[in-house]
Order: sequence, then structure tokens, then C-alpha cells
Amino acid sequence: MDRRTFLKIAGMGSMALAAGCSPDPDRKLFTLVRAPDDMVVGEPQWYATTCRECPAGCGVIAKNREGRVIKLEGNPTHPVNRGALCMRGQAALQGLYDPDRLKQPLVRNKNNWKPVTYQEALTLIRRKTAAAARKGPDRIQFWTEVMGGPLHDLATETMAGWNAAGPTVYEALGYDALKAANAAVFGIDGLFAYRMEDADVLVGFGADFLETWLSPVSYARQFKTMHQVRKGRKGCFFHVGPYQSLTGANADVWVPCHPETETLIALSLIQIGLDVGRAGHLPFPLKESLEQIVSRYPKAAVLEQTGVPEPVFDQMARRLFQAQRPLVLGTGAGGPGANRYATNLAVNFLNYLLNPQLPLLAFEQRYRVETAAPRTSLRQQVERLRGGQTDVCFMHNANPVYTLPPDSGMAAALQDPAVYVVSFSNVMDDTTALADLVLPVQLPLETWDAYEGVTGAAGLQQPVLGRLNEAPALGDVLLASALSPPTDTDTYKAYLPLALNKRYGGIAQVADWIGMLQSGGLFRDPSITEPAPDPARMDPEALGRAFAALEPRPRGPVLIVAPSIRYFDGRGANKSWLNEIPDPLSMVAWQTPVLMHPETAVDFKVKTGDLVSLQQDRETLQGPAYVWAGIVPGAIVMAAGQGHTGLGRFARQRGSNPFRLLGDRTGFMAYPIAVQAMGRTVPLATTSGSRVQHDRKIALHTTVQELRHPGEHEKPGLTMWNFPLTLPIPEGYDPKRDFYPPHDHAGYRWAMVVDLDRCIGCSACAAACYAENNLGVVGQERIVEGREMAWLQVQRYLDKETGTRVSFLPMMCQHCDNAPCESVCPVYAPHHNKEGLNNQIYNRCIGTRFCSQNCPYKVRRFNWFTWSWPDPLNLQLNPDVTVRAKGVMEKCSFCVQRIKAAHNVAKNEKRAIRDGEVIPACVQTCPTGALTFGSLMDPASKVNALVKDPRAYQVMGYLNTKPAVIYLKKVVEEV
Amino acid sequence: MSELTFAQVDQTILNSLKPAGRSYWALIAVLAAGVLMGAACWLYQIFVGIGVAGMNNPVAWGTYLINFVFWVGIAHSGTLISAILHLFRAGWRNPIARAAETMTVFAVCTAGLFPFIHLGRAWMVYFMLPFPNQRNLWPNFQSPLMFDVVAISTYLTVSSLFWYTGMLPDLAIVRDNATGFRKKIFTVLSMGWTGRFEQWRHYTRGYLFFAALATPLVISVHSVVSWDFALGVVPGWHTTIFAPYFVAGAIHSGLAMVLTLMIPLRKVFNTQQIITVNVLESVAKTIVFTGLIVAFAYGTEFFIAWYSHNPVEQYIFHYRPTGHYAVGFWIMAICNTMVPLLFFFKKVRTNIVSLFVISILVNIGMWYERFVIIITSVSRDFIPHAWGFYSPSLIEYGIMIGSFSLFFFFFCLFVKHMPSVSMTEVKEMLE
Repeated sequence: MDRRTFLKIAGMGSMALAAGCSPDPDRKLFTLVRAPDDMVVGEPQWYATTCRECPAGCGVIAKNREGRVIKLEGNPTHPVNRGALCMRGQAALQGLYDPDRLKQPLVRNKNNWKPVTYQEALTLIRRKTAAAARKGPDRIQFWTEVMGGPLHDLATETMAGWNAAGPTVYEALGYDALKAANAAVFGIDGLFAYRMEDADVLVGFGADFLETWLSPVSYARQFKTMHQVRKGRKGCFFHVGPYQSLTGANADVWVPCHPETETLIALSLIQIGLDVGRAGHLPFPLKESLEQIVSRYPKAAVLEQTGVPEPVFDQMARRLFQAQRPLVLGTGAGGPGANRYATNLAVNFLNYLLNPQLPLLAFEQRYRVETAAPRTSLRQQVERLRGGQTDVCFMHNANPVYTLPPDSGMAAALQDPAVYVVSFSNVMDDTTALADLVLPVQLPLETWDAYEGVTGAAGLQQPVLGRLNEAPALGDVLLASALSPPTDTDTYKAYLPLALNKRYGGIAQVADWIGMLQSGGLFRDPSITEPAPDPARMDPEALGRAFAALEPRPRGPVLIVAPSIRYFDGRGANKSWLNEIPDPLSMVAWQTPVLMHPETAVDFKVKTGDLVSLQQDRETLQGPAYVWAGIVPGAIVMAAGQGHTGLGRFARQRGSNPFRLLGDRTGFMAYPIAVQAMGRTVPLATTSGSRVQHDRKIALHTTVQELRHPGEHEKPGLTMWNFPLTLPIPEGYDPKRDFYPPHDHAGYRWAMVVDLDRCIGCSACAAACYAENNLGVVGQERIVEGREMAWLQVQRYLDKETGTRVSFLPMMCQHCDNAPCESVCPVYAPHHNKEGLNNQIYNRCIGTRFCSQNCPYKVRRFNWFTWSWPDPLNLQLNPDVTVRAKGVMEKCSFCVQRIKAAHNVAKNEKRAIRDGEVIPACVQTCPTGALTFGSLMDPASKVNALVKDPRAYQVMGYLNTKPAVIYLKKVVEEV
Repeated sequence: MSELTFAQVDQTILNSLKPAGRSYWALIAVLAAGVLMGAACWLYQIFVGIGVAGMNNPVAWGTYLINFVFWVGIAHSGTLISAILHLFRAGWRNPIARAAETMTVFAVCTAGLFPFIHLGRAWMVYFMLPFPNQRNLWPNFQSPLMFDVVAISTYLTVSSLFWYTGMLPDLAIVRDNATGFRKKIFTVLSMGWTGRFEQWRHYTRGYLFFAALATPLVISVHSVVSWDFALGVVPGWHTTIFAPYFVAGAIHSGLAMVLTLMIPLRKVFNTQQIITVNVLESVAKTIVFTGLIVAFAYGTEFFIAWYSHNPVEQYIFHYRPTGHYAVGFWIMAICNTMVPLLFFFKKVRTNIVSLFVISILVNIGMWYERFVIIITSVSRDFIPHAWGFYSPSLIEYGIMIGSFSLFFFFFCLFVKHMPSVSMTEVKEMLE
């Protein structure tokens, strides 16, 4: 544990005591006229909690300044994310400060809402539940997102008191097929983890583990661990599927196959496994059944059906079966396709054939999201809603009206006057809009709770700021409305440690509890108690049935709905950062484009930006087309998340909701669909000016072979390609090239190293930058005009030939030693400081914009207007960073405020700043550790070691700007 | 012209100063309205933010700087005609020297407004002045924009003084022929000119020295303006040819503007006998010369881009004639280099209509030259991901119209109230 972490954790503990244990919560946010005794103005307090933006449950430490939480960072001690966060995690703050958050309970009064007090709302709930409980059994439903154990148990017990079965856990991304396949093959009706970092060859059948799948931050880290160059070798990843998600774009090989045919590829691989004698451990009937199944799909037919080129398939098969630690992953959360169950089944068998010990399947680590109810049981619940068997239905952060297909009848069921619908939502989302009573409860960042996203990572949640409103915790609502309280404690906060002690033990005294709060939870190694389950127990006949009726490849256009890295299942759509940061693959912000292959586009006579309508049965949606080579012809991909009828100002009536076109049978896929060009063009809010690099020295790559045998280096020269690496330090000064003398730096020369081989393009860094540096959110129209304010952009480049090989390049101010911006400003607003930083002095800037014109990297951002932060989003603003007004230039500062803070600490301790002590926001949150920051003057610093890597280069270095951002080439493997 | 007497010359010019008719004041009113509209647009921009203009991230300079360079360019010919041609004793410049100088002064004034309009925080513009302050902040004299401040203000000062000095004997003639209030004004303006021998001796010496002083400025001002671009690293800007290229272009556009102004002026004021077709023809011949220099400069740019073997540079010069702004490029290329070649034909360069039309076309071409240079380069520079397009917004058009209105407003006021042709210099020609 380093010093920073220790300080953070030490801070958490004392504040947890001070803030957490006060008897009555503050009702107002005071300015610092009356500050709490232990609050030091200017000193942040850190609280450990757990991110609940998706079911993964990453650990978070929240930075609280003067009572306001202003930044979330990953908890470095949390086993799931180890200090990193994704962009949704970074943006969780915007849910807290959502300008459209409901401020008090609302009761439906005919067609409008009547505000009531929390007490009145509670009374209503108590009356309605008591009446329903009296009426008979099972007349109350409770739909909820995945909840932590204690709260789930409390809900179950409360509902038992109401004479009803437990809560219905609703997750749109519910992994039904994967769970069913796990149940069938391994006898585990749930979701276990994968030890991806130990794999050497990885084959994915659609699992988008870098975006939404199970635990994206954790898998991003593990993927880059297995994928990094170690001893001249590198893990290899094949992504099989009809489209390239961000995950597929990071694969070494994308194996494009037609929709619904992934199963055949998995079966073909099984066939090879059987052929090479890997089925020795299977009991005979099962083996026979498998052989029978695969014999129906000879390789030639499979290749023809799937459209996979034979060399690509052979290569994948060869690598997979030669691998020492191969791992195969199933489909994404939603499917897609009618064969999703069969695919996952085949994948599980494939893993078994590859290694019967199943060393990379971590059965002891189970994901909490496995508690999500399968679609079949959801159907039954809806039936019971409609059939008059339910009187009261609670909705807790579940938005089934938005995410369930229209034929589920959910909306009609909730509108039924016989059902009293209570929503605990904080925003007027699509489902809440149909409720009879809205009782906003505390958000995860405001409440006491516990959540164990994966076994062993029991994270605690505690309020990270004072109260913004009087909303009660859901646990307290349950306790208050239970007929027979399941506990003697008055509050959920008091109940929580008891419940946790019962669950995990070890909370004997207050000190234990405080210790847990300080570290963010109870983290322990999940013990391997059970031996790996044996798939031998699968019923051969059931196996036969599963593959008996495989859906053939659909003819005609197919819509695939992809879970979104930005909006997840749609819950993030009202967060302006998530809208403003473009989708990493299409580079489109604020909109959801309809992705299609160039051939498909020609078929439908559309170009990028043309509005197209997609229709299935009675449902239609529209979106701008985006022509993209990373899809098979005929497939159309649209990300989920937009098209809400409610939710808030940033989401309402923006884009279309592709869930509306789906049905249960084909999961997140719909066909046949009718595609029609609308004859209109929509200006795309894209931040990308060109898809290719035009043969420039920007995002470079090298090969493993080249690294192994560094060939003859070209003689250094002065052209784009042979200009030597010139570090921004006096040693980089060359009198032959330099007109001006070198800069002398005082103690530090800050620099960043960006390892392109580790960058997956997820844009978490960009989100962290928005949060840390008070970046203006400009909105769709302004992005169309080219006025986005992102200081850090993850640029996406495609290869010229195929358009399917994607390179990502995080681009921010390069803090050049020979900065072109500095010399052209008439008033010295860009200023080179003693530590090599290129500072932008906002109050000196007069707005000539010459610096931006002259910046070869185009990283400077001009304030065309004064941007606004709708109340209370302004509470999130970082007090250490100026909020810029119209007319001034701004750009990445290397988080100078953090450098200054480190200076203060070091000065007080009479020492120099240590390597790794200054961590800019982007570096801090990067899930894969692609960014490293430090001083080039420190010979022992990490950056100094990294710039000696043979992969090191500078973007457009031949301009002799001497950038302080050094990139390391991406390593591709010629497979 | 030689058949004119001195009195006829005086009378012709003095006739132009007679009280104006309704149509003149209507024109002035229209121009004033244009100025007010431009001012309103600027005010709106100051209150709302520079975002009301069409500029964006890659293209952060737009019509404001295009117009700046355009008007500075226009401002060039006045001093060229009055100073350089004076030193060269080119007699044909005498009848048009006054109007050309006037054009210079007002064009510099108009041009000088644009950097202010362009600024994100125009109210902070005094940061560019080297005034003593307790924070010891000083402007950056390394910046081409500071060169601009010095160069433009020097040019404005010198050309205004030169203009006024040359006007003194004429102001005295107007004074002698005026009555009442006008006489009082011109008495003050003519600074006690009596036409005594010593006055003439000082005057001609002073004029000659001014001409000598102004001559390097003709070269330097637009060289400095060109360094706004040439000292940047942007492909298509970073080239040593820019200074002579811009000077030639500036004279090219200035001469065309002289024709554009003179042709209606000589008709309205009936000065065809003074501003003869011969004079216009001489201007046209000079335009052919400057047009050829400009064409050579265009060619050199393309050659150097090819020769440099620099992909970024090559891309820009491939992009200009074929890309998104190709129309602008071809307007520029045709209007500036092809169209003036028509002046090789005597019929074309002696025909008033064709002279006028071609002069307008060259003006348009030169405006587009600045458009092509300023917009295309940054719209497609080093980092392809950052590429973007620019098109002017309504506010920018409003300000552009305002700037043209302002120039013509001043010019029209001047020609009706001050001697627009140098009577004394025309008389010199008569001997």
C-alpha cells in the first residue's frame, strides 16, 4: 500500500465516524460559514463505497470537498477493479446531481402528479400492502435491480410478512442463456468468473467483456494482462460474431460470421476437439451424443453457412488446440439470437474438451447478477400483474417498460388500475411514468448498504456526501412498511452490520465495522471449496434436444441490439458526460447510429448520416446510418440505451429505443426487419474527421516478430519516419535542429507514457477528465459544429485496406518542449513553466485562437460560449479547477491541480515528490494501466524506464515539438 | 488631357464638391445602415460568445481574418501608387493617387477592426499593449500577432500623414473657392497654406521623404501579415514564399480595387478627361504583372509541396483543388491568374466595362485566396481525427457586409467633401 492510499483510507475512517454516525442527517448543504470541526477547507475527504452503475460492483472512493462529492475514483484495494473505473462509474455522480431528480414523493392524481410528504407516501404504502396482504397470498410484487445480499434478504423477509414471494430481480442484461447453459453442463444455475489473465488463447463468441459483460473493468485488466507481451509472446484473442463490438475491435482476429451461426463454429471446434482425441473424459453416452450432433455439421457446410473464410477458421482452431491455457467465452448478456443457449452450451463443452480440469473457470467466484430472474419467470410475473392476481407492484430501479419488448405487455399491466404501482425511482423514467406513487429513495452513493458483485468482493456502501433531499433509504422504507419487522433495529443502517456479521462474520465490535468501512468492504480470497463440477452429469438426450432445432441463418436484414458501453441498458442515458463522450467505435456522441456494412448500405441506398427506419411488425424506429466495415453484410447493429420517453432532459425523446423491436425468442436480435431510407440526412454528432491516418506517424503498431528481432534501424534523419525520439529535456536539444536554447527544468519534467498496446479505447479516461477538470458539456448541436471540449479524446483510426482493424490513440495536450502554441500567443497565455508543463493562463487569454491554429495535435479547446451546468450539476464542479468562461482557450493541464497538491504535501514533509505520487485523473481511472505519468528528470521513474522501450515514439515527432507524451506502439501479432 | 487649363482642372474637381443630391444621401443612408447592422452583429457576438460565428475546433480562424487580410491587401495599392510610383516618376499615377491613398487609409481602418472582432475577449485587447504593470507582464514580441500590431499601426500612421500632407495644397484651393462655414473648416484644414515658394520647397521635399519612408512599409506590412501564417507550423502556411507572395497579392487586389473605385468615380464626377482611359490602362497593365507574380507563387507552392516529399504538405495541395473547398480554390485560381491575362488584349484593357468587370473578379478572387489559405490548411492539417469543416454564419456575413459598408461609407463621404483628385499633381502633368 502506498502512502496516498494510506492517507485516503485513513481519511475515510475518521469521516465515516463523523458523518456516518450522526443521528440525524443534515437537511441542507451549508456553505462553510459553519463547517464541521474536522473539515479542513481545501482538504478533500475520501469515502469508500461501491459503484452500482452496473451489477459488477466495483469499489469506489469518493472525493468530498466541503461537503460536496466531486469525483469518484476506483478503490485501489477493491479486488474487482483495483483502482480503475469505467466511464459509467465516473459518471455516477451525474445521477446524484441529476437536474431532473425528483425532490419529493408524487402521487398520481388522474393525469398529473401531486406532491406529498415522505410520511404520507409511507402511510400509503403501508395501507396498500396491508390491504393486499389481507386479501391473500402473493398479491404483492417487487421488481428490483440486482440488490446486495442484506437488502435482498430484508426485502424477502418483508415480503414474506406481506404474504408474498420474494423480490423479482430484473436486469435487462440478464445472461439467461449463459446461466441455463451453466446449469445444464456444470449444474450451476448461475454465473461464475473466468480467470482470463491466465489464459494464453482466448476465443469469445460475442461476450463484450470490455463493455458491459459481467465485470468489464475487471476483464479489461485481465484481458490486457493476458494480451501483453511477455517473454516475446503475447496472448491471442479471437472474437467470433456478426459484428465488431469494442471488444471485437480489440481482438487480434475478428472472425466474422453470419447471425445465428456462432453455434456452428463452436460445434465445428468441438468436432476438431473430438477428432484430436480430447473427449477422453466424457462418459460414453454424452460423447456419442456430441459426436452425433457435430457430425450433422461438416466443416465445409459450416464454413458455407457462417461465411467464415477457411484460413481464418483453421488458424483459430489451430491456435486454440495448441494453446496451453485456452479459454472460450460464450455470448454477450443479451444473446443475441435464438441459438444463444446452444452456443453457450457448446462453449461450455468446448472448454471442457480443451481442459477437463477447467482451470480457468472460477466456479467459486459467482456474480451477483446471477440472481436476475430469467425471462420466462418475468413473463409469469407480468401475467400475474395482468390477471388481477396482484394488487401492489413495487419498482426499484427497474425500467422494464423501456427494456422489455412491447409484446411483454408490461406497460399495459402497469396501467391497469387494479394494480397499485409504487416506484422508488429518483427520475421520471418510462416505468415510473406509469406508477401510482413515486417515492424516491436514496441513491447508492447516498445510502448505507452492502453489495458483493462477485464472491469475495463484499463492498460496503456509505453516504459520500450530506443529504441533498430527505429521501429515505429503501431499507428504511421496507422496515417502516413491514407488517412484522424482521429485525428489532429501527433503521437499515443499524441492521446492516448485524446482517453482514451474520453473513460473513468478523464484525464483533465497532472497530471491525470501521475497518471495513475504511477499506471499502470485506475482501477475501474466495476459497475453493468444491471441486470443479463435472459436465458428465448432463443428460445426453437433453443435449441432443438443445441442438436439434438450430435456427438457420436468417435471410434478409437482421437487427442486433448491442448493450452500450455508454448507457449500459439505458440507465445512463440521462448523464450528460455519457452522451457527450462519443461511442468509442463509431465516434458518434449524443446519437445512436444504425451501423451497417458498406454492402448493406449500398443495398438500401444509404450513406453515413442518412436517416433510416427499421421496422418489425408494428414497431418502427429511426436512426442515422453509419457505414462500418466491422459488421457482416446483412446485419444491422444498434446500441441500446436511447429513446426514452422520460428519464430527464438529456435523454427524453433523444434517439430511438431498439428494445422495442425485440422479442423473447431471438433475444437481442430481430429479424426479418424492413429497412428503409427516409430520404433525409441527419448531421452526425461525430468527433472524428477522418477514419484513416493518411499514412502519418500517429497511431503506430509493430509486430511481436519485430520486437523479438529488432532489425537494422534506419539512419536517423529529419523526415516524418526517421526523426529520432527527442525527449523534452535538455538532452533532447540539438544545436543543428534547434534555434532556441533548451528549457531548464526545476526538479521535475512531467511526462506521460501512453501504451497503445494496453489501450482498449473505452474512454474512461475521457470521462474522468470531464469530472476532474470541469469540462463544459456542449450538446449534440455543438458537437456537429465541431466544438466539443474534451481535453482528452480517444481517437479511433481504421486501417485503409479493410476498415476492420482499429487503433485507438488517447490524444491530449502533448506539453511540448518546443510548443508551437507558446510562441504565437501575443500575450503569453500559453506559458511554459519550470516543470515543463505547458500552462494555459485563462485570465491572460484574449482569445486570438492562434495557439489552436498552430497546435499540430489540435488538442486546444476554445470556449465558444459560456457553458452551463444545470442546477445541481454545478455542485460537482471541482473547486481546484477554474470554470472557464466564454472567449478563452483551454486544454489538458496534466491535472496541474494534482501536481500542486503533491507539491504542497512534499514541501510540508521537506522532500521531493515521489514517483507515482502525482496521478492525473485519466491515469488514475485507466482499467488497463495504459497511461503512466511521472517526471523525466527522475532517473528511477517509471516513465523514464518506459521511454527506453523500443516501441517508444512521438506523434508527428518530426515537427521537433518534443512532446512530453510518449506513445508506445501497439503490438500486433500476425496470426 | 493636355488641352485642359489649370482653371479647368480646378473647376472640374471643385464641381465634385458641390452640394450633393438626394441619391447621394440615400446611398450614404444605406451604407450607414449597413454599418449599424455590422455593429449590431458584433455587439451580439460580444454578449453571446464568439460561437455565434461559424468557427470551430480545427478551423478557429474564419472570415474575420480573411477580411482582415483582404482589407490590408486592398490598403496596399494606395501607398504603392502614391509613394513608389511617385519615386519612379510614373506620371499616370497622379490623377488616381489621391483616391488610392484614401482607399488605403479607410481600408487599413476597416482591416484594423477585424482583429478586434476576431478576439474571443475583445475587452481584454489592451493586454497586447506593452504597458507597465505591477505583475511585470509584457506582450510576446515573438508572436506574429504582435508584429501585426506594430506593422499595421505604423502603416496607418504613415499613410494617413502622407495622405494629409499631399492634400494640403488642394485643401487651400478648396478654401479659396469656398464661402461661409466651409471656408472656415478648410481654413483650419489647409493649415495656412499660401503657396509661397518656401512652402512649396518644404512641401515637395517633405512629400518626397514621406514617399521614401512609405515605400518600405508597402513591402513590410503585408510581409508581416503573411508571417501570421508563415511562422505557423500548419501545412500550406509554413513556407518562405509567403512574404513576396502576399505583397504581390496585396498589390494585385489593391490595383483591382482602384479600378473598381475609379471607374464609377470618373463617371459620376465627370473627370474622364483627367482620369483618362490611359490611366486605367496603365493600372490594368500593372495588374497583368502582379497577376503573373501571383500565378508564379501558386505554382511554386505546388512545386515545393511535391518536392518536399512531406505527406502532410502534399495532402493539403492535393486537397485544395480537389477537396471540399475546391470551388473556392478554382475561383481563386481563375480570377487571379487567368482572368487578368485578358488585359494582354488592348481592346479589353481600354474598354471601361471589361475593366470594371475584371477588377471585380480579381477582388473576388483575392478574397477567395485568403479563404483558401486560411480555411483549407487548418481544416485538414496534421491529425486526421481532428479534421473538420467551416462555413461562415449569418453573423459573420452581417459583419462582412458591415465592413464593406463602413469602407464605402467613409469613401463616399470623402469624395463628396474633399478633393478626390489631386489638383496640384494633375497640373504637374499638364506641363
